[in-house]
Amino acid sequence: MTVENRYDVIVAGAGHNGLTAAAYLARAGMRVLVIEKNDWVGGAAVSRSLHDGWTYSNCSYVCSLLRREIARDLELPKYGLQVIPYEGGASFTRDRDYFAYYSDHNALKREMARHSAKDADAYRGYSQGIMRQCRFIRPFLLRDAPDPASLHPRDLGELAYLVKKAHGLGSRELGETLKFWTMSIGDFLDEHFENDLIKAHLAGSGIIGTGLGVYSPGTAYVLLHHYMGDIDGGIGAWGFARGGMGAISNAIAASFKDHGGTIHTGSGIEKILSKDGRVEGVALEDGKVFYAPVVASNMDIKRTVLHHIDAAELPDDFTKAVRNFKIRGSSAKLNIALDRFPNFPAAPENTSFLRGDLHVSQSLFELEKAYDDWKVGRWSEKPYIDMLIPSQIDPTMAPTGAHMMTVFVQYAPYDLEVDGVRSAENWDEKQRNAMAETVLDQMSVACPDIRERVVHMEVRSPLEIEREVGLTEGNIFQGELTFDQLFFNRPVPGWSQYSLPIKGLYLCGSSAHPGGGVMGAPGANAARAILKHETRHGRMKGYAA
Amino acid sequence: MSQFDAIVIGGGVNGLVAGTLLSRRGKNVCIIEKSNRFGGMASYSVDGGPSLAHSLYNLSPRVLSDIGIDPQHPVLSGKPVSTVSLSEDGRHIVFKNEGIFWSEGTKHPESDAWTDLTQQLITYGGLLRQLAEAPPPGGQKAILSRGGLNEFLRLAKLGFGLKKLGKSEMRRFLQVVLSNVHDIVLDDLPEGPVAGMLAADAIWGSATGPRSPGTVFNLIYRLGHGGHITQPVGGMSALTDLLVEAAQKAGCVLMPETEVFRILLDDDAVSGVVTTDGRTLTAPTVLSNLAPKLTSRMTGPSVFDIETMRRVRNIRARGTAAKVNLRLKDGSLLPGLPDELARERLIYAPSVEHVEAAFNPAKYRQMSKAPVIEALKMQTADGASWLSTIVQYAPTDLEGGWTDTAKDQLAQIAVSTLNLALPGLKDHVTNTQIITPDQIENATGAPGGHWHHAEMSLDQLLTLRPANGMCRYSMGPKGLFQCGAATHPGGDVMGLAGRNAALAAMEATP
Ligand SMILES: Cc1cc2nc3c(=O)[nH]c(=O)nc-3n(C[C@H](O)[C@H](O)[C@H](O)COP(=O)(O)OP(=O)(O)OC[C@H]3O[C@@H](n4cnc5c(N)ncnc54)[C@H](O)[C@@H]3O)c2cc1C
Ligand SMILES: Cc1cc2nc3c(=O)[nH]c(=O)nc-3n(C[C@H](O)[C@H](O)[C@H](O)COP(=O)(O)OP(=O)(O)OC[C@H]3O[C@@H](n4cnc5c(N)ncnc54)[C@H](O)[C@@H]3O)c2cc1C
Repeated sequence: MTVENRYDVIVAGAGHNGLTAAAYLARAGMRVLVIEKNDWVGGAAVSRSLHDGWTYSNCSYVCSLLRREIARDLELPKYGLQVIPYEGGASFTRDRDYFAYYSDHNALKREMARHSAKDADAYRGYSQGIMRQCRFIRPFLLRDAPDPASLHPRDLGELAYLVKKAHGLGSRELGETLKFWTMSIGDFLDEHFENDLIKAHLAGSGIIGTGLGVYSPGTAYVLLHHYMGDIDGGIGAWGFARGGMGAISNAIAASFKDHGGTIHTGSGIEKILSKDGRVEGVALEDGKVFYAPVVASNMDIKRTVLHHIDAAELPDDFTKAVRNFKIRGSSAKLNIALDRFPNFPAAPENTSFLRGDLHVSQSLFELEKAYDDWKVGRWSEKPYIDMLIPSQIDPTMAPTGAHMMTVFVQYAPYDLEVDGVRSAENWDEKQRNAMAETVLDQMSVACPDIRERVVHMEVRSPLEIEREVGLTEGNIFQGELTFDQLFFNRPVPGWSQYSLPIKGLYLCGSSAHPGGGVMGAPGANAARAILKHETRHGRMKGYAA
Repeated sequence: MSQFDAIVIGGGVNGLVAGTLLSRRGKNVCIIEKSNRFGGMASYSVDGGPSLAHSLYNLSPRVLSDIGIDPQHPVLSGKPVSTVSLSEDGRHIVFKNEGIFWSEGTKHPESDAWTDLTQQLITYGGLLRQLAEAPPPGGQKAILSRGGLNEFLRLAKLGFGLKKLGKSEMRRFLQVVLSNVHDIVLDDLPEGPVAGMLAADAIWGSATGPRSPGTVFNLIYRLGHGGHITQPVGGMSALTDLLVEAAQKAGCVLMPETEVFRILLDDDAVSGVVTTDGRTLTAPTVLSNLAPKLTSRMTGPSVFDIETMRRVRNIRARGTAAKVNLRLKDGSLLPGLPDELARERLIYAPSVEHVEAAFNPAKYRQMSKAPVIEALKMQTADGASWLSTIVQYAPTDLEGGWTDTAKDQLAQIAVSTLNLALPGLKDHVTNTQIITPDQIENATGAPGGHWHHAEMSLDQLLTLRPANGMCRYSMGPKGLFQCGAATHPGGDVMGLAGRNAALAAMEATP
């Protein structure tokens, strides 16, 4: 063993969470190596240029969840991160009308009243309810999930914190919270609103990235998962990272390197080495070996445990639980280079809402049916689409006058059904193009000239996402966000605090609490756990501590 | 002076249990039932045909002992019924205590996996039963308040039960109970009729499919009393007669064919009820066997705050189970089924995906074209032989309504579906009775004709049942209690909701 290949910590994968963990550890004075299989860093928070002049946010495309404590601790603005909020959005109807969402309360109320006076009145109560839930959940994101089966003081402490927070709500409010966490977004919206289009517009965040329909219990929580972020203190606000989502990962990487960290790209980890129940290092695909007493895996739990660790090193019931971890691909993505701004015939001239998220789903039923298609292995005939044109706000994404469009597609299965056979291998070029056509048809509801505007288009099925980022089955959150896989159940019961059954092995990606999204919390929490268990002084510094 | 200490509105299973228990504790009780027959949904039938509920799996021994019914009573000593998962290829699967078998007698390869999973769920069911036999945690009492001590001890007991499971089982419990039946079953079993049977048992009466999170809870609930199934000797009405008898023996005044129209209030307390035929009956305590929406209609909404009324309005209860009774030719056997299996509980649910696909149309107010069916062969009092079937999904709010044509269509679907696994059954059916959820609602008042009066989903269970802020059986004005299936722990021919409510009423007015 030479000094060059020995480190204090090796982080497996340079997703934004791996980088976040690495950056915290480097700042704490550890010698850290990050290993990334791709030639670039960022995982699903990445910007790439696939057609000259245009930059795509290839996977994730909007930012809100990134914890501001982390941005401050790692000094991300100093390393070039700039997040620009966008406002508004709209859902277009098939008969050339629209429902526009404005962040200005009065404008929104007027617009709602245009569709339903009753809904305009109901909105206040609805948004206050959501805000209350957001405020309740936010403090838990940068804390460990307690293990309810444990009597360890740490767990009792976290449980006590939970009880205190819950008690602070008062019993009535606590009941509302429990109810909200367990109900479906469809039922929740039905309780408040009557208009189909308004409900469809608001429901999208409840199903993004999940194998659930708008009427599946638990989707109200998924909505919350998308609302609990903030930009500049605006809770629930979303924005664009200037230069695409890769700018976030790049800033974290720069912060890491500035504190002595090393990133090794271009060859993936073949195996996480361990002996006698203790981690030793990693062996790469290109034959290199690096040693460290601590390895933190940014890969999802399934990939980490089932592909890169010797099964004999792990207890059977743990491996079984990991095998049963649900990580279903349900999303696809189109990234489009446009020659100029598409025409939205229904939208008033110079309206601001085109700068936000645009949709074409007409009702909760239509969304639920989109889910039914996915259940049997087909992409939705009328998928939910979340499309944005960030180049309106961030001119670095496309040449002057031209534009870049990002289109998130829900639902697309991983194991596609073709001629009665369900298999990921069915995702060939032909099927991918056929899916793109379905999505373009759907987009035409809003902008009928979309096909003429396309200069270049990247079409990503769950299979491509899996192949590039390593996200098993293309699941965007590194595991379903259902109650049986959240909080102390994430990723599997008994292992919710970042360490895994091999000494020195940790999980620092979105498979860990509090889950997916470009949030950084799993990475920061894992770094805290590593410092606590693996170093003598044992304490992380900063806001996220 | 009031005429009674307590009045129970509605003589369903839970109303009868609540009234009897109060009587046995020395109260002077009157049970008022609008129809000419007690027993509510459980024993509701048309023209002497099979009743709505046809099997017992959750009847609470705690309830029986509290109301003085001998668990060995002849009505309750029917032979245990096994379940048979029907298969179109004629190789049906029989579920027994000792494992699962092909209909020709050999052991089924999934037997061990099934036994392990079921045993685990039954253990969890036992834990939930502890919760079911008392009011749910939380409610109006602040968690850390003075009155919270008993509460704490009770929860500690449950915690103790959990601890006894051991750490890893306890963790698994907390995961499984929140999960969906599709995943839990298919983690351990291959797709097919064994998995399909478990999926079916997780969705009876509910507006969910196997993939819906929370459905494992329903399956555990069903297994809460060990998972044994019997048919009451003499039919469900024999059981409800037994309950009536117990009520009478305890001294309850029973008033059939009397419909309550209004609950009387005196300031902020109840003082009695008015019936549709204009009679006034007075009591300082009123227990309602009806769902909250109907109960609040009887008091008038003004006694509740706006928020409470909003919650009551939002309680979900979309009935999805219909009863289709097939009259069989006298002496008919069931074709394609060995004789000795003809009296078992037959399930048509060839796979988990089948159950999920059956659910799809119900979401959009359509009936399943390929439903999930539970069938029991039985004889009614007149000696006629029937196949009593529960057919799901048949949503209460069917698009276009439950017209005669729609009902005929449902009957045809039921018969032809069963005919797939029991070829020739068609020719044995001489007559059909179709009881749709809207009809159940009309007859009994159960909202949406729902099996449990209110959906048993995680957001409407325990502390949240029937709605946030009313889990302790009391509701609005002083002296008003709810005692029906909409309250904790829920429905089935079980009686715990009625019992717990009676105890809560006793506690409030000792
Ligand atoms: C299409 C799509 C759209 C999304 N949209 C949004 C959005 O708009 N907003 C939002 O907040 N979130 C969004 N998300 C979710 C979010 O991007 C992810 O949850 C998050 O980026 C995951 O970060 P991570 O660091 O935990 O893991 P990952 O980003 O998955 O990082 C894992 C890293 O490990 C590397 N790796 C894998 N295997 C190996 C190996 N063997 N050796 C070495 N390295 C390896 C991968 O290449 C990758 O870099 C989206 C995700 C997708 C896929
Ligand atoms: C199709 C179907 C099949 C089922 N099969 C089974 C089964 O096999 N096994 C099982 O355990 N469970 C079964 N169930 C569920 C079970 O029947 C119910 O959960 C249970 O009977 C509910 O009892 P309850 O006392 O709470 O309410 P109910 O039985 O609904 O009692 C309410 C009573 O109040 C009366 N009432 C209503 N309004 C008034 C008024 N204004 N004045 C006076 N009285 C009034 C009604 O007539 C009724 O008697 C089935 C349900 C359905 C829908």
